[in-house]
Amino acid sequence: MTELALTGFLGLSAALFVIGIFGMLTRRNFILLLIAIEIAMNAAILNFVYFAAFPAGTNGLSGQSIAVVLVGFAATEVAVGLSIVLALNRVKGTINVARANELKQ
Amino acid sequence: MSLEELAFLALALVAVATATAALLVRELVHTILWVAIFFVDLAAIYFLLDAPFLGVLQLGVYAGAVTILLLFGIMTTRKRFFSREAATGIGPVPVALALVTFIFLVSALGELPQSTTTIASYDPTALSANLFGPNGPWLLLLGLVMLSGVAGAIYLVREGRE
Repeated sequence: MTELALTGFLGLSAALFVIGIFGMLTRRNFILLLIAIEIAMNAAILNFVYFAAFPAGTNGLSGQSIAVVLVGFAATEVAVGLSIVLALNRVKGTINVARANELKQ
Repeated sequence: MSLEELAFLALALVAVATATAALLVRELVHTILWVAIFFVDLAAIYFLLDAPFLGVLQLGVYAGAVTILLLFGIMTTRKRFFSREAATGIGPVPVALALVTFIFLVSALGELPQSTTTIASYDPTALSANLFGPNGPWLLLLGLVMLSGVAGAIYLVREGRE
């Protein structure tokens, strides 16, 4: 039987989430931005799976169910994000998000 | 230190290293390689946590579909953006903000019990009963969001607009 402590898992989640935030703040390339969002989202999904595996109550399975749904949401988000990348590339000729500033002007 | 703890430590180190490398390497195709390793590593963590269904889902959706989609996006756009404007430096503000968030999250870990717990394992059959039973509305919502997402994506990439 596997025995593990919860704190290590949550530390890993925190580290991945922070890496995602860091990527979102520093990268200007739209695809790298999407990857950073995916890393942060995966950290959140990992949390659901940990708390499902540490049965303090009786709702362990619900955590895994929500994680399945969240994986679907994240996949949809990547699909829409990539279509925005393609549209931006066609309209502006670049996927640098700093150049997509029409709403600001 | 038990074998499981060693395995988790190794997987966690690989996850953090590959996630960092994915965001810092210069060549975008290398980014995809690192991110693929990151997703496979997360799938291994799911298997370690006795969640085989989620592990396989992670392998199929993330390591398979999302990686290929991102690679496709890079292949269709890479010609033009390897100019100087794409390369941005790392200022002190994002690093400071990330560090503050990390310290805040890790300081909250002190409140938790430090003892080890036995991992609860579930049958995939029980998971499906739960997913389609009490959590059915979430699945319906996911279906609606996916439908509108696909419609929006098709509208965005349609030729002949404007």
